[in-house]
Formats: sequence, structure tokens, C-alpha cells
Amino acid sequence: MKFLHERLPNGLDVIAEVTDTALSTSIGFFVKTGARDETDAEWGVSHFLEHMVFKGTNDLSADEINRRFDWMGASANAFTSEEDTAYHAAVLPEQQIEATALLARMMRPALREDDFDTEKLVILEEIRMYDDQPPFGADDRCRATFFGHHPLARSVLGTVESIERMPVEVMRDYHRRRYSPANIVLCATGAVDFEALVSSAREWCGDWEPLAIPPRRAPLDLRASHAPTLELLTRPTSTLEYAVKMSRGPAGDDDDRFAAKLLAAILGDTSGSRLYWAMVDTGRAEQASCHHQDFLDAGMFATQLSCDPEDAEELLGMIDEVYRAAAEKGLDRREFEQNRNKLAGRWVLLGERPRRRLFDVGPEWAHSGDYRSVADDLRTIENLSLEDVHRVLARWPLHGTGSTVLAGPLPLDPSLETASEAQ
Amino acid sequence: MKQTLHSATLDNGIVLLGEDLPGLESVAVAFHTPAGAVHDGPGRCGLATLSGEMMLRGAGDRTSRDIVEILEGSGIQWAQSVSTSHASFAGAMVARQLPTALPIYADILRRPRLPDDELENARQMVLQNLAGTEDDPAHRAMSALRQLHYPHPLGMPSEGISADVEAIGVDDVRSFVRAHVVPRGMIIAVAGRIDWDDFVTRVEALFGDWDTDDASAVAIGSRGERVRFVPHDSQQTHIALAWSVPPYRHDASYEASAALSVLGGGSSSRLFSEVRERRGLCYSVSAGYHTLRDYASAICYSGTSAARAQETLDVMLAEIDRLPGTIEEAELDRVKSRAKSALVMQQESSAARAAWIARQWYHLGSVRSLAEELARYDRLNVASVEGWLAANRPAGLTIVSLGKEPLEVPREVSA
Repeated sequence: MKFLHERLPNGLDVIAEVTDTALSTSIGFFVKTGARDETDAEWGVSHFLEHMVFKGTNDLSADEINRRFDWMGASANAFTSEEDTAYHAAVLPEQQIEATALLARMMRPALREDDFDTEKLVILEEIRMYDDQPPFGADDRCRATFFGHHPLARSVLGTVESIERMPVEVMRDYHRRRYSPANIVLCATGAVDFEALVSSAREWCGDWEPLAIPPRRAPLDLRASHAPTLELLTRPTSTLEYAVKMSRGPAGDDDDRFAAKLLAAILGDTSGSRLYWAMVDTGRAEQASCHHQDFLDAGMFATQLSCDPEDAEELLGMIDEVYRAAAEKGLDRREFEQNRNKLAGRWVLLGERPRRRLFDVGPEWAHSGDYRSVADDLRTIENLSLEDVHRVLARWPLHGTGSTVLAGPLPLDPSLETASEAQ
Repeated sequence: MKQTLHSATLDNGIVLLGEDLPGLESVAVAFHTPAGAVHDGPGRCGLATLSGEMMLRGAGDRTSRDIVEILEGSGIQWAQSVSTSHASFAGAMVARQLPTALPIYADILRRPRLPDDELENARQMVLQNLAGTEDDPAHRAMSALRQLHYPHPLGMPSEGISADVEAIGVDDVRSFVRAHVVPRGMIIAVAGRIDWDDFVTRVEALFGDWDTDDASAVAIGSRGERVRFVPHDSQQTHIALAWSVPPYRHDASYEASAALSVLGGGSSSRLFSEVRERRGLCYSVSAGYHTLRDYASAICYSGTSAARAQETLDVMLAEIDRLPGTIEEAELDRVKSRAKSALVMQQESSAARAAWIARQWYHLGSVRSLAEELARYDRLNVASVEGWLAANRPAGLTIVSLGKEPLEVPREVSA
């Protein structure tokens, strides 16, 4: 496995992790833009634009793009998050040049108004689809409360209102500013012909005009550093109650982020964790889990619970007790080692799939300008000590803090609010 | 592409399958026992799922915690699932851990404790999962569709029905495991960085002396009504359609799945282009091929807001009706290209290949080589697909809609 990097004169980074034994080539354009880069008037534009990129360029129709991907046998898609917008395709190696060219051309979309109006309907359907699904908006609301005035508070899809009122000019302007070459990384993994990749980039992206990009970091203002909060979204017809809780954790540039992921696995992985044995194995909860997520300048532990509505209050209390016991009594070496091996095993399996590696290598470079091989990550995981995990617990306690949102049949109940405030 | 496949059959009927994937460090193993939901029995829908869950709750001299601790402590990613036909236990790991994993799976399959005092927890776990599916409208629509379309009990939900799960006793679980977790009909598949001879020796030592009675066959009954509306308080209406096509082991299944892929397989498919791209009616719309051993279906799905659901259904039906006689060579070329590329890329995942070779054996009684599979796609042409479609026009549709208001369904499509 080897890593290669070249920067075009206009600032576009071209990187590749080449695996000689791979059977496929994955190619992705990672644009350093997402919901956190939007203003109120632009709320939802990053994701909406991601859809519009598939609607064609001045000389390629949407049908033509779809037909070409299918003709190549590509598995192509895109996603938008708080910090990234990515367009990717996995193909057989002989299609690398064709797939790179197509993705590159798509990065300069026509953004036609009639396409914009039709696609707006699809975006509204997507918002409605998620609104009908668990956790019924609890995640978006929790993020909004937890992040407060920080730009990460913004949900990726936007709202029905923000999408409906958005004119096409807002998107065109956003695209011009954010899709500047220095704000984009072209990344490939697997069986990559790097020379061909660079020459594709020169051919299709070399004339992209460079624009200065303002810095993304925002002053930290997380309300979660204050008293815990609890909110209820009442969904009378749902069967289960869904809870999302967010509390502070190490950010993406913090060396403790790996220890934080290990801590989250010990406490709340979807199997074999403390929450699993306490609530899922016993059938008290459908789900009770915890994971760590990091961003450029913030990090969090996200806890998810789904259970019978009448058990929600008790189980939230139990989760807090699990977290408190870990902080006060510490973790034992056996569960630490079990989970470290579990994480390492997971990394090895993910690492041998180039299609999966794309989503580690691309964003890592986009965020930090660094490359980490699977071996680098494995070494970091294997070098973690119990003390590292205890330090994370001490720096970012999970108990008695955080923003919690419940969505489900529970009616507004003042006693629940008080119970949480009293912690 | 060079491919090395292995197979062996133990005296007790267990079939062993293997595939070398030399580029990988990992190995994946999967045990498929013929203890699927099809054997749940009347009033016991969910028995296979509850039994599968109980099998993990202590086996041999290990408690359920011991099992999870040793698997996860060895970096083994484990999974357990129940389908219509099988209860499956699987693990993916770095190759050197395989000798640790095999004896644990042997205990789970041959020596499950099925303890009384775990039944309530296991039952509650199954019920929690069922309650979760109640909140997933797309899942509910698809589940109702399979239940109506396939003859009973082939379409019954493997996750169970709450009232039935409530009624299951520990003796039901014990007799189910005794009757259906048996060597005959069992497939053990391994793929990745394997040493086949060593694998066979180990499996022979762990499973070779296992002998039980054969499982009994299932009586197949009749199917449900053609059209059903499921009231649900949601913003979107979910539409699911099915009609019968040949099962995978039938040669014509390639023509059938190619035709369905033209209809709704990729982003250049008819349904995606017409329903989503041109009309903006929905976020998700698709058509696909779903097969059991003796029955198979074409399945179409879309979810869209209530006000536009009728138009979505009408356009979907029009596209289905328009399909025979209109397939173009370029469309079929794209379908073939997608299928072939997916097959090759599958070789990068040991778990995907272990699942694939087991599936082939279950349906065909043999494993087709990748070269043969690719050749079958190469042989497809417009004449063969159109020929099949002309003789098998989509008809007798089962139609489920789930949402606030029922949809109008033209009588002829379900006839």
C-alpha cells in the first residue's frame, strides 16, 4: 500500500492510496463544505447542491450522467454532512479515467432553474421521509441545542421552509464560492493509476478558477458545558420513545480522539458493551448505544436510546449511572483489552476494502491535510492504554451533563424536566 | 480471473464450501442451518428468531457473556440472523483467529444451553425489535407485501408477530432447535485467506460425529389478497408492488432480473428516470429481484408524500406495462455492466463471498464459478430478455400501500 500526493497550480489536491492487490478503483471528490458553512438564507444548500450536481453540466444532461455511470458498471453516489460534501464512484480499474472525467465535469454543474425547481420537490420528499422515521427529529433538535450558536448546530437537510424559499441564485453563488479548487480534494483508493489520475485532474480541473476560502473554525460556544437540558418532541403515533443525548468529547485535532472511540465502545457499542448488557441483552431497550464523533473544532459523545415510552425516564437515569460508575470506579483491564482488540479487528477488515478506505483517506486529508494508513491507525489503537481511556473520562465526563431530546408518545411532563435538572 | 473454489460433504450431510481470496488478510466463515422462519409453525411466528437469540445465551461451558467476550476479544466481528430458510451465524476476522472461532460456533450450534432463566430477556429483546419495526413505515409496507404475495408461510415475517412471540415457551424453543438445527441441510462457507485442508480437518473434528434425524418438510398453503391498504399516520405514503418471476435456480432468472434492472435497477433505470428525475415525485423508487428457493418476485417500491402518491403509483404501473417490447440494447448493456462489475468487486470482501457461495449452493446445489456467472451475463441479449418478457408479461400484481389514504388500483393489474 502506498500513498501519493500532488497539488495542481490552482490548489486542487490529488491524493491516492494505492493497493496492488485491489480489484476495484474508488474515486471521490471531497469538497470542504457542508451545513456548517451555510448562512440562514443558505440552510440546506450544501445538500441540495449535491443533488443538483447530478442534474448535468452545460454539455451533459442528467440522463447522460446516469447512463454513463451505469454503463461503466459504477457504484456511484454522494453524501453531504456538517463538514463535507463528497461525490464518489467505485469502478473496475479499466474505467478509472472515464469515471474521474465524469465526476470532474460534474463539479461544474449548469444549475438550471427548471432542474432546480423539480429537484426541490425531491429534497422536500427526502425531508418528509426522514421526518417519518426514527428518531423523528430528535437528532437534529439535539444537535441544535447542544451546539447552540456554533455553526455545527445546523441540520444538513435544512427545513421545508428554508428549502421552499431558496432561489437558485443562492445556490449558484454558494457553488462559486465553495467549490473553488483549493477547497476540493480528489482522492482515489484501490487499484489506482496515479499518473493517469493526475493527468485527468489537469485535463478537467486545471482551468478551475482559484478563489480565496475563508477559514472555517468558529469560536467554541457549546451550551453543553453548562447545565444539562432535556426537551420533548411529542409524536403520539410512534410505538417507541427515542432519545438522543450529546455531551462534549475530544475534537478531530485532539490526540485523545482514538481513546474516546475506545471509551465509547466500552460503554455503548451495539454489542458487548456496558449499555448492551444492562439494557439491550435484557430486552429493556431496543437500542442503547454510545459513539464518539469528531469535527474540526469540536467533538461529542452521542448516546442513543429507544425503548417503551414508560421506561424512558428510568433508562435515561440508568445510562447516567453507567457513565457515573465508569468515571468513579474506572474500567477494568479485561473489558479494555476486549474492546481494543474489537476495534483493531474492525479496522483491519475495513482497511482491506478500497471502497471503504476512500471515506477514511479523503475526509482525513480534507480536514487535516494528513494521511494515515491502516497500519498507522492500528498502531495508535494498539498503543492505547487504560490510563488513556481514564484520562478521557476525566476530561469529558459523560454523566450529569449534556443535551437530551426525547421524541415519541410521551406527553410533555414537567416531572421529567425537573428530574433531569436535579442531576 | 483465477478463482479457487472448494467443496466437501461430511458423512452427516454438512456441506463445506470455500473460496481463496489471496489479496485479503481476513477470513469470513458462515454457518447456515436449515432452521429458518418457514418452520415457525402456526401461532409461533418468531420462534426461529427467538431460538436463534437463545442459542447465543450460553453454549457448552460458556455463558452468553463468555461467548461475546471471547469473540470480540479476538477481534472477531460476529453476526447472527434468521431468514425464511436459514438461521445463520457468521464471523469475519484476521485469518489467524479462525481456530479460535470455530469451536465457539460448534458449541453454539451443537450444545446451546437454552436456559429457562434467559427466555424472558430474549423474548423482550425480540419484542423490542418488533416494536422498532412498527415505527419503520417502509419496512412495514415491504413486510405486508411479502406476507400477501408468497404462499403461506413463505412470506411470514422472520422477526415474528408480537402476540405469537408472547406465547412461545422454552419447550417450544428446545424442540425447535432439536428439530431444525441439524447437520442435514447445513452449509458452512468460508472465504478469504484460507487453508482449505486445515479448515476441513478442524470442521470434521468439531462437527463430524454430529448425527440427528432429518428435519421435516413444510406444507405450503395459499397466498393472501392482491390489494391491501395499511392505515398509518405518516406524511409519506409507501407503495410496494410484487409479481411472480422464476426463482434463481431457473435459467430464465437471468432474463427476469435483467428486465427488472432495466425497469428499476440503476440511476439510469426507467423508474428512477421517470418517477424521480423527470417528475420529482419521490426520493426513493426502485425495482428488484427477490428469490426464495422455489418462488421469486419482482418487487417495486416507492415512498412519496400523500398528495402525490396516486400519481406515483400510476406512473409506476405505466412503466411496468410499457416494459415488454421496448427494451433497448444500450439499456441492457448497462444492466450487464453493472451486474458484472458488482460480481468482481464482491471478491474484495470475504464476508460477501462467504455469503454468496453459500447462497449459490442452497439454490443450485453447486457453486458457479465467477467465469461462468460472467458468461451468463454475456449471453443475455435483447431477444432473449424480450422473449422471456413476451411470454411472462407482468400480471397478477400484489399491491400494498401504507399511509393516511388508500390509493385507487385499476382492477386489471391485479387480475
